[in-house]
Amino acid sequence: MRAGGGGIVVRFTLNGREVEVTTRPNATLLDLLRNELKILSVRRGCETGECGMCTVLVDGLPVRSCLMLAPQVDGRSVTTVEGVGDPERLHPVQEAFVEAGAVQCGFCTPAMVLTAKALLDRDPNPDERTVREAILGVLCRCTGYAKIVRAVRLAAERVAGGVRE
Amino acid sequence: MSSSSVLEEIRRAEEFLVVGKGVWRIDALDKVTGRARFTSDFVLKDALHVRLVKSPIPHGRIIEIDAERALGLGPVRVFTAADIPGENQVGYALPDQPLLPADKVRYVGEPVALVAAPDEDLAEKAAELVEVRYEELPAVFDPLEAMERSDVLVHEDRGTNIAEMTRVRKGNVERGFEESDVVVENTYRTGHQEHAPLETEGAVAIPDTQGGVTVIASIQYPHLCQRITARVLGLPHSMVRVIQPYVGGGFGGKDDMGPVVSAMAALVAFKTGKPAVLVYSRRDSFTSTCKRDPSVVRYKTGATRDGRLKAIEVQIILDSGAYANRGPYVLWRATMHAGGPYEVPNAKVDGFLVYTNKVFEGSFRGFGNPQVQFAAESQLDELAERLGMDPLEIRLKNLLRPGSRTITDQLLESSVGIYEAVKLLGEKTGFRAKWREYRRERAGRVRRGIGIACGYHGISTSRGVPDWSNATVILGRDGSVTVETGICEIGQGSWTAHAQIAAEVLGVPVERVKVVGGTSDAPDTGATHASRGSSIGGIGVYVAAKRLRERLAEAAARLLECDPSDVEIREGRAFRRDSPDDYVEWEELVQAAYSMGYEMSATGYFFLPKGKFDMERGLGYAYPAFSYIANVAEVEVDLETGKVRVVRVWPALAAGRILNPVLVEGQIEGAIAQGMGYALTEELKFEDGRMLNPNFTDYLIPTSLDVPEVEAPIYVEDLYEYGPFGAKGVGEMALIPTPAAIMNAVKNATGVRITEIPATPEKVYFHLKEAGVVAGE
Repeated sequence: MRAGGGGIVVRFTLNGREVEVTTRPNATLLDLLRNELKILSVRRGCETGECGMCTVLVDGLPVRSCLMLAPQVDGRSVTTVEGVGDPERLHPVQEAFVEAGAVQCGFCTPAMVLTAKALLDRDPNPDERTVREAILGVLCRCTGYAKIVRAVRLAAERVAGGVRE
Repeated sequence: MSSSSVLEEIRRAEEFLVVGKGVWRIDALDKVTGRARFTSDFVLKDALHVRLVKSPIPHGRIIEIDAERALGLGPVRVFTAADIPGENQVGYALPDQPLLPADKVRYVGEPVALVAAPDEDLAEKAAELVEVRYEELPAVFDPLEAMERSDVLVHEDRGTNIAEMTRVRKGNVERGFEESDVVVENTYRTGHQEHAPLETEGAVAIPDTQGGVTVIASIQYPHLCQRITARVLGLPHSMVRVIQPYVGGGFGGKDDMGPVVSAMAALVAFKTGKPAVLVYSRRDSFTSTCKRDPSVVRYKTGATRDGRLKAIEVQIILDSGAYANRGPYVLWRATMHAGGPYEVPNAKVDGFLVYTNKVFEGSFRGFGNPQVQFAAESQLDELAERLGMDPLEIRLKNLLRPGSRTITDQLLESSVGIYEAVKLLGEKTGFRAKWREYRRERAGRVRRGIGIACGYHGISTSRGVPDWSNATVILGRDGSVTVETGICEIGQGSWTAHAQIAAEVLGVPVERVKVVGGTSDAPDTGATHASRGSSIGGIGVYVAAKRLRERLAEAAARLLECDPSDVEIREGRAFRRDSPDDYVEWEELVQAAYSMGYEMSATGYFFLPKGKFDMERGLGYAYPAFSYIANVAEVEVDLETGKVRVVRVWPALAAGRILNPVLVEGQIEGAIAQGMGYALTEELKFEDGRMLNPNFTDYLIPTSLDVPEVEAPIYVEDLYEYGPFGAKGVGEMALIPTPAAIMNAVKNATGVRITEIPATPEKVYFHLKEAGVVAGE
């Protein structure tokens, strides 16, 4: 990280690729990802850390990108849903979301998928309560969470059962 | 389309390949990979960012809007009522709502000016510097007070704060009460509810080369959006093109707000010649968009000793806030549903929609019905209590059945599955035994209770208001299928249901079908509201696909050398029924049909037949069909904290054909969560008209830890003759009885009737204390 001219240069890993970008020192990670890098799956829901729509993984852990300043990710690794899977190679969590009907309007889906992935990466076999606690920070107004919880557990079964990956 | 033959055909069908199956959503892949694009993702490079200048006072005359300091910041533009080239009018039911007020403000948070600048920070700063001078006027906040006052008027030209009155007069209520052995009378209150879609309201407007504008917006009805935007800009409708990208939740709010926000963005684009982006902040979304109408419902019910309902007398007062918006229609719906799904021989209902100086109200899942069902279903339990009956018994005695008449005296000939649904639900839940057990126990700090409530909801628009379906289906030369509809995808899954209907009728795999919806370029299919998206919206798809299927059958008959009636088309192949091995592939068939001169696109239009409605007496044909719902809720009440935890909900739905059980379950689970929030935690607080909690920290929508377990729904498929494959509406249903089911369970647990929602822990605690259930300090 170095300050210069109009802003600060930040170097970090984004979805496995090295990125170097100049940003305002007061820009949030959300601003950087959405406005500068055009990662549009990271969504603005409240900008006060309440809704969880802007969740990304920083060094593998869920972070609300509206509450983190862009320069804070210097030297760290950021994952958005684009780095989790694509239509040809879905991550088991994404696959389970499709199959379990865990998607409705889709606005919270990237945040949910990332949060679920982070959970399964550290706890491959969570019980229902653990899943509910893990996704607590991401609001969903459509599903009542039932099918999201089911999808996360379905993904866990598959990963643990060696069906995928 | 003759209705009897269609129904016959549906009943004859033994199996479906696509309909009724848990087909994966056609948009799921876009959404899980983050590729789905929402309104705020369409920000063009040279776009102007728009911010609202909002009124800080609840009621006052606008003396002067001084933009000098704001304009001094740089490339900033400020727009007020004076800049509107067309008609400054966005009122829905009544012409009472300006896009931007010229003379006075009527609520805190009302947008009085728009500020546009090339970057967001500058727009934000400039908006703060626009100085508006007001002459404050006395304000009125309580609807009961507002209806009595004529010295403080929210709209002076109307001469009263009562925006609309409705009524139902069926039979003779005086005689009905005379013939009753028991009469129960209570007053119920419900609060505001904020839709809280995770994607806030927004619109991107792009000027086109012909003097018109293209609007990309978060909406529920593209053609309404087109009409209102065109009206504000003074353009022919055809000059405004509206496109709905993915929408991050609607719940009714974007039906009302979509046109308003679109018109604002379009105004800026039209005046500047540049693209304009207006995305509401979460705070704007709380302070300056419509909510669910708060209500006061006075309800008197009479019944005979054996539990038969004899009469109801109901007064409904809806607080409309500053503008009528959809209020008159909300009130009519509340009025006509006031009896609940029961046979009531004598009914007198009076409705009042009242202006106050608070944020205006509007469409929200249930549309006036949750308010009255909360009252009606609480009443029924109180009545049962007085009669020594259980809640299930009194419902089974009075539920509507085929041949029953509603409180508007509408004869329900068929498609009335509620009795069977409730019967099955009672058996599945072991309701009676649990209800008796919990009632007997009532010991300890945490009390358990079970409650039931029913609901019904007219599908389509109310009374004689015209309703129709309209869609186009186009077959490409490569065999691809495109469905064009005005119905919006707002998360509910209507486009997937549309694809299923087209696939089933045409005989192709669902993956072949692409749905282009939510745009003014498609036929006007009406709004995506009133639980009509898949049901009414799907009729047009059915009709259009049917036309193409007939043409394809003729073409196939020529290829297969048989009679069209012997042709079967399924899973992408056409064959003779008597020799399935002799087939033509779909692509080949479509190409052949093109070559033979068959038109390979078709429109499907269907105008719903409706009966007469007498507005004077509020009697007659209210809706083409009703969907029915019953929920059983099991709760735990903590006497020390007043917290109610909903442990489990069992739903039972009679909504005709279930086109896709996974989608329907999703609607039910989501609606129960939203209904639970409405019943227990979602409370907007106001002080002198100013909202105190416009954020998710202080306004509590349910989280993953709050929601109950929702059991697999019971479906009674009471087919509706005009619905696609017999389907009726689903989207709003499960929310409607949820508050009453929960509060009836609280009564079962504690013996205390709470007549006011949201029943926050604080309120519950004090009610219990007042009733002597918990010891006071």
